[in-house]
Order: sequence, then structure tokens, then C-alpha cells
Amino acid sequence: MIDLAFLAGVILFLAGAVIPLATISQGNRLTRSIYLGCIISGSIVFSLVSLFVLVNNVPVSIHAWQIFPGVKIGFFIDRLAAFFLFLIGSVSACVALYCAGYVEEMEGGNRRNLFFSGISIFILAMSLIVTSENTFSFLLFWELMAAVSFFLVMYEYNRSETRRAGIFYFVMTQLSTLFVMMGIIILFFATGSFAFAHAPVNQVSAPLLTAAFISLFIGFSIKAGIIPFHKWLPYAHPASPSPVSALMSGVMLKVAVYGLVRFLVTVFTPDLWWGVLILVAGTTSAVLGVIYAIKEDDIKGLLAYSSIENLGIIFVGIGLFVIFSASGLSLLATISLLAALFHSLNHAVFKSLLFLSSGSVVHAVHTRDMEKMGGLAKQMPVTSLLFFIGAAAIAALPPLNGFASELLVYTAFFESVSVINPLLKILLFICLALFALTSALSAACFVKAFGSIFLAKPRSPACEKAHEASLSMLAGPAILAAACGILGVFSYQILTGFGFVLPVPDLLVISIVLLLMGGLVYLGLYFTSSRQTRIGETWGCGAPSLPSSTEYTGHGFSEPIVTIFSSIYRTGKTSTKTYFDQKNCMFAEGTAEIRLVKFFEEYLYLPVARGAYRGAKFIARMQNGCLDTYLMYVFVAVVAILIILGVTA
Amino acid sequence: MTTDFFLYCIINTVCVALIAPLFVSLVKKVKAWTQGRQGPSLFQTYFTLAKLLKKEVIYSKDASWVSRAAPWICIAATLSASLFVPLVYVTEPMGGIGNIILFLYLLVLARFFMALGGLDAGSSFGGMGSSREMSISAVIEPTTIIVFAALAFVFRSLNIIDMASIAAATGTPVTPTLILLGISLFIILIVETARIPVDNPETHLELTMIHEGMILEQSGRNLALLELSSAVKQVVLMGLLINLIVPWGIATSLSLIPLAEAIGIFIVKAAFLALIIGLFESSMAKMRFFRLPSLFMMAFFFSTLIIIIEVFA
Repeated sequence: MIDLAFLAGVILFLAGAVIPLATISQGNRLTRSIYLGCIISGSIVFSLVSLFVLVNNVPVSIHAWQIFPGVKIGFFIDRLAAFFLFLIGSVSACVALYCAGYVEEMEGGNRRNLFFSGISIFILAMSLIVTSENTFSFLLFWELMAAVSFFLVMYEYNRSETRRAGIFYFVMTQLSTLFVMMGIIILFFATGSFAFAHAPVNQVSAPLLTAAFISLFIGFSIKAGIIPFHKWLPYAHPASPSPVSALMSGVMLKVAVYGLVRFLVTVFTPDLWWGVLILVAGTTSAVLGVIYAIKEDDIKGLLAYSSIENLGIIFVGIGLFVIFSASGLSLLATISLLAALFHSLNHAVFKSLLFLSSGSVVHAVHTRDMEKMGGLAKQMPVTSLLFFIGAAAIAALPPLNGFASELLVYTAFFESVSVINPLLKILLFICLALFALTSALSAACFVKAFGSIFLAKPRSPACEKAHEASLSMLAGPAILAAACGILGVFSYQILTGFGFVLPVPDLLVISIVLLLMGGLVYLGLYFTSSRQTRIGETWGCGAPSLPSSTEYTGHGFSEPIVTIFSSIYRTGKTSTKTYFDQKNCMFAEGTAEIRLVKFFEEYLYLPVARGAYRGAKFIARMQNGCLDTYLMYVFVAVVAILIILGVTA
Repeated sequence: MTTDFFLYCIINTVCVALIAPLFVSLVKKVKAWTQGRQGPSLFQTYFTLAKLLKKEVIYSKDASWVSRAAPWICIAATLSASLFVPLVYVTEPMGGIGNIILFLYLLVLARFFMALGGLDAGSSFGGMGSSREMSISAVIEPTTIIVFAALAFVFRSLNIIDMASIAAATGTPVTPTLILLGISLFIILIVETARIPVDNPETHLELTMIHEGMILEQSGRNLALLELSSAVKQVVLMGLLINLIVPWGIATSLSLIPLAEAIGIFIVKAAFLALIIGLFESSMAKMRFFRLPSLFMMAFFFSTLIIIIEVFA
């Protein structure tokens, strides 16, 4: 029954992929609703299937195709897979709903059919990755996801910025596949099968398993945008259409999280130092991600960096899970793993909400530069409220969902007193301090984002003329915003419902207390205070009315933090001055230069790329295009093989 | 919910709301004395709040729903946070109230709205205040969390109400760690309540103000709510320091005489702390904004020291 429903979902997505291509010359509102109908219904089917498995806790397995003995494609949905399938299905449904309004105003004519087809395959590929029964089909769909997402990023291919981002993304995503493939092959050598099964650790397999883990970790880190492999995110997100950004940031990054968790839980027996590695990588990403985010003026760039930060938080959870389970603290390990998974879901919800509502904003004002926005709360009241809920959730304000999962991380950190190793304890406390810094900076970052987009006066003519988004562009995000509230307020009940009774506060109680306190104060003041209000000018030191150019912009807002953390940005400031007099008092002339250093790009990516280019150039000399040379290569290879076989035999 | 806890909630909230403005005036009075002035009456803050409530609210024409919502959310969040810190009576906590992380984030909730309220009217003073407030709060956060983690470590609990009962039960556990914790909590108190050397609560000069800058556009009832919520925040943080470090006299049973005694003792202790705050403020000049991170760094190393002592002790 449930496997049939799953296959029905797959077929709906395949229909969503094929119909737009079959009717490529057709393009009207009706056909587009049919395509989207397929995607939305497929997503809903997947969410229902996964919900069924999550609640009943009975794994489902579906055999699809035996390619040849030992290599087959099959699906297996257990609770972990169902959780991620639910995440993919529910978020994708909301994004697709948003698309219904968005595509109507998108450029590209009938090229939009390709867009639908791509979205459909993309969601399908991600769903099939998380339900893959073995590493072989995992890898297959992983590559499908990577390839389709590249086409989606390249949708607006006629802009040079997009082409650059696309190439960057393509290289990084292929590198990720390369490492994942390498990991899976090494794993095959260690265990002799492609199955997701526990790999026994012995003298022979131990080094192989460690190598497989390192390789898989790098592969998943690239996909998840963990620093230093993060650079593709701030390029790819601003360049792609907003629904694609929402899907990539909200959902695709979580597939990498799934991969890491799946391999750690099912296949490997993790060592303590693996956990330390993941924890340190996660903390670095979280701190640097938010520090870079706060400096961004491009709204989608800011959200991209904030994704890096949040993936860092998820990795912190996974790292803690490994550390605690290697130290034999099972309750803390459960809390940390739940924190990582719950934060994955929460991040998927609020980040796609933020990307979608900022997509509406960008659509209305035709710029991504927050410096040129402002005052949109009055022109776009509903969008402003939706964005606000997302911002409040990502800034971990209680009682929303971002707080609920960060609370779990904090609880795991605070309870880590029971870890025995003192050095490990100190490391955990340092990570805790950095984690708190991250959380506070992300609050600052989203005060900046919300403040400079929606508050004060409009800073450009386009902003004054902005209009509210269409109904479907509000409906999709509205569902996500409601989810932010529900997942937060009822987090305790949800966790208890799934059988996890944890020592964390019940956020429902605190929501009631908040409402009660607000209500009591309101009641108290309703009878005692004056109810008169008046509209006046903002105080401008006596000037009658100040222009919007005098208000604080986002750039100004983040300036103190940028100055405090200036050593991290590594901005180079040089100046030369000449003076008229000996004592350097009267300034004659001079030059000043501010150089923004793209640290990772200049010191890591480009050197590696140059090295690869030089290597390729060297090897290319062997390819001279002459048949005789190639024959000689073949001859030498055959002889070499014969000799090796002879020697070893 | 047990009756005991219900009564705790009522007693605590009423105490906090009633005595919070007193200590705002008291610190002002102490500062006036050190400057050789007589200073305002001890009840001046109550008079000011009453006056503000009678006045009309003026909104800027550029302000959105944020300015209208911010004061209410600030007061709701701060009053909810005040439930987490027992002032005069301590009982068994319930339903996660008292959780130290939640306490911290309720204060963040209030701050988030206050900062947005500062940006809302489009005044550059407000923006400046919000920007500085968020920067300072970000930089002090690691210290705060380490101090809170150290508290959790020392008292073996994540719940402030539990910690207070443990402290009340053990009496006066004057250990080096607790003294260090007291100093760290004092620094956090100074930073969080916007006092010299971090911020100057008396100034309205654009170059120096942080907290005052954010609420510059607020008026009437809304201003009263924001003023009250900062007063509440101050007394709650003072209560945290007092009831964990010098917990004598807090009532553990619900009868009239111990409770009245506890209120009296708390007022005396808090008045003493307010005196220290006033003297501390008077003995210092406000620090240049970008010198603050080094002050916070010092506080951070201080609190990390506690952890290291605890870990290796």
C-alpha cells in the first residue's frame, strides 16, 4: 500500500518532468498550473508517505531494478529517511505553490517549461537520494541532483554573472560527487557490498573505513557549504531564481546532511576524533558564515552566508552526537542528533520562507541591494510580516522553531559536564562560546536585514512604487511561516509524540506566559493610560523633514561589527600621503586604497585551480592527436600489464 | 500547576513590577551624591512612569507596525523573563520556567524588538542606537553564555529557580569560583543594563547614547512600557546576582512573616548592590565604543578561568 503510494509520487514527478518537455511549444497559465499541479501533488504524496512511516515507525522497502547481480536500484524508507523525505516533500510543496505566482512574472517565454521540468526532476532526485536502499543508487541520484541543479542555476544564462556562478557551482558540485564516489568505492573495498549496512571494524578495514569517512565527509561538506568549501553558495544563490535558491538552500543542503548522518549512523562506527573534526568544522562555518553574512548588502548573498552558518550549527549537532556516542553518553547523543535533525527541518522551513519572501521583494523593487530598499513594510505589509517571522525564527527568538532546535544544542552543550576528558571539556566550552557568538550575531544580522529592507523611509524610487506580491506568492510562504510557529511552540509535544522525552522546557508554556503577561499589561493600561495617539515627524534636530538619505542604512548598521571583526575580513587598507611641511601637518596630496580580500578564493581556490590547470596542461602534451602515439600508449600499457601479471603470479 | 508555583508566579511578578523603578532612582541618587548634588527623589521613576502614561503617544509618519508592537513585546518578554529569577520566594520550578537558556533568549527577544523599533522611524539616532546595541550584545554573548554554563556547572542544574533553592539551602558557599562568578555577573549586569563604561544612561548626546538612542522616537505609554521593561531587566539581573551569590534570607515557605522578611532583606541587599553600581559608574568614564571589545575580552577570559578551575579542580 505505502510502496504503491511512493511509486505514485515518483510517477507524478516524472509526469511533471515529461509533460512540460512534451508540450514545449505550449505556454499558458493553464498548462503551467498542470505542471505545478503534478509537482505539488507529488510533494504532498511524498510528505504523507513519510509521515505515515514516521508515525508508525515501520520501515518500508521497495525493490525497483536489478541491474546486474550485486548492483541494484531499490528504495528503503526508515524513520531517518522518512524524516528527510518529509522535509523535502513539505518544503517543496510550498515552494511550488509560490512558483505558481512567480513564474507568471518570470522572463524566458516557453523556456519556463524547461524550468518546470528541471524543478520536478530536482525534487524527485533529492527524494530518491534519501530513500535509496544502497550506496550505488545513492550515488546515481546524487549525480542526477547535482546535474539538474546546475541547469536550474543557469536559468538566466544570458547574464554574465549567472554564467560565472554556474561554472563555479558546476566545478564544486562535481568535486563533491567525486569525493562521495571515492568514499563509496573505498567503502566497497572495505566491506565488499554497496548496501547501507554496518561495516565491521577490523585490522584490515579500519584504515579503509577512516579513508572512506574522510572522503565522504569532504564530499558532503562541499555540498553542505561548510567552510572552506562554501564559496559556491554566495555565488549560486544570488544568480538563480528565488524558488531555486529556496530549494537549494532549504532542501538540497539537507540532503548532504542526510548523507553524513546516514553513513555515520548506519555504516560507520565513529571514533571520537571524527566527532571533534565535524564539531570544529561546524563551529568554524557557523562563526565565519554569520560574520560574512552581516557584511553583505545583497539580500540573497546574506541569506546564502546565513545558510552556511546554519549548516554549521547542524554540523555542530552531528559532531556532538559523535563525540557523545563515542564517550558512551547515550542521552546526550540523542539530544545532539535530534538537535541536528530538528535544526535541519527548521532551517529548511525558515530559510525557504526567507528566500521566497525576499524573492517577492526583489521582484517588486528590481534590485537585490538592501541599501536601495527601505520602507517596504508599508507597501508590502503581508510580505513584511512573513519575512519578519522567518527573520525572528532564524535569529532564534522564542517561541519560534529556530529557538527550539538551538535550545537542544545548548542543552547538549550545557550538560556536557559529564564528559570525562578535561581537554575535550574545554574544547566543548570554547565551541559553546563561539556558538553563542554565532547566535547573537545572527540576531544582529537579521535586525539589519529586516530593518534595512522594510523599515524607515524608501531609499529609491522603485521602493516607493513597490506593490504587494500576488496571492500564490503569499500563500506558499504563509504556510512556511505558520510551520515556523507550530514547530516552535509545539516542539516539546512533537518530540514527546515521537517518543523522545527530553529535559528541555516546554515552549507552549512559555508562549502562554508571554501572551498572559502581554495581555495583563494591556488590560492594566487599557483603563489607566491615555489612549490618544498622534502622527508626527521623526525628530531631525529641528529640521522640518529629513530626506531618506540621512537614515541609517544596512551598511551603516553593520559597520561596528565589521570594525570589531576587521581582522577576520582581512580588508587591506593602504594610504600614502605627502605633506607640504617637514612636520607632516599640511596635507598636500595622497592616495588611499581599500582592498576587499576574498580570502578563501585568493588563498585556497585559485591556487588549487591554477595547480590543476598546470597539471592538465602537462598531461595534455601526451595528447598530440597522432594515431601512432596512441597505438604506442596502448602497446606500452598491454606490455606493462603482462609484466605485472607475470611478476605477481 | 501547583498552587505553590502559581503563588510564586504572582508574588514574583508583583514584586518585580513594583520595586523595579525604585532601584533606577536609587542608582541616580547615588550618582548625584557623588557629584555633590541632592538628586531626584527615590520615587521619581514612579512619578515619571505615571506622567508618561497620561500623555498621548506620538508615532512618526514613517513608522510601521513594528513601532506599535515593540513596546508590548518588550514588556511581555521582560516580565516573562522575570518569572525565571526568584526574588523573594523560591519553590519547585515547573514547565521549564527557570531554564537559563530560555531566560537569556527572552531577553534577546526584547532586545530584537527594541532594536527594530529604533530603526523603524528612520531617525539616524535610532539606527545608531540599534546598531551599537546589537554589536555590543553580540560581543558580550560568549561571556554571558560561559558564565551561565559555569553556573550550571557549579549548581549542577540548568534551572535558575533550582539554583536559587540550592544556594538557599547551602547558605553561604563562599568559594573562589562563586566570587569570580559574582564579578562576571556584575560585568554582565553593567553591560546589559546600559551603564557606564558601556553606555551612559543619562546622556542624550548622539555620540554617546545607545539605549536612549533606540527609544528616542518613543513617547507616552510606549515609552513608559520600554522604561519599565529596562527597569525590570535591571532588577531581575540584580536578583540573579544576589540570590545566587549571597542567597541569605530568601523565603522557602509560603507564610507571611518569612515572606515580608525576605522582601525587606532583598530590598536592603539590592539597595547595597545599587549603591555599588552607582559608585562604580561614578568612578569611571565612558569608554570609547571600539575599546569595549577588549573589556569584554577581559570578562570572557575571567569567566573561562572559572570553567578551567572547575574542570581541573
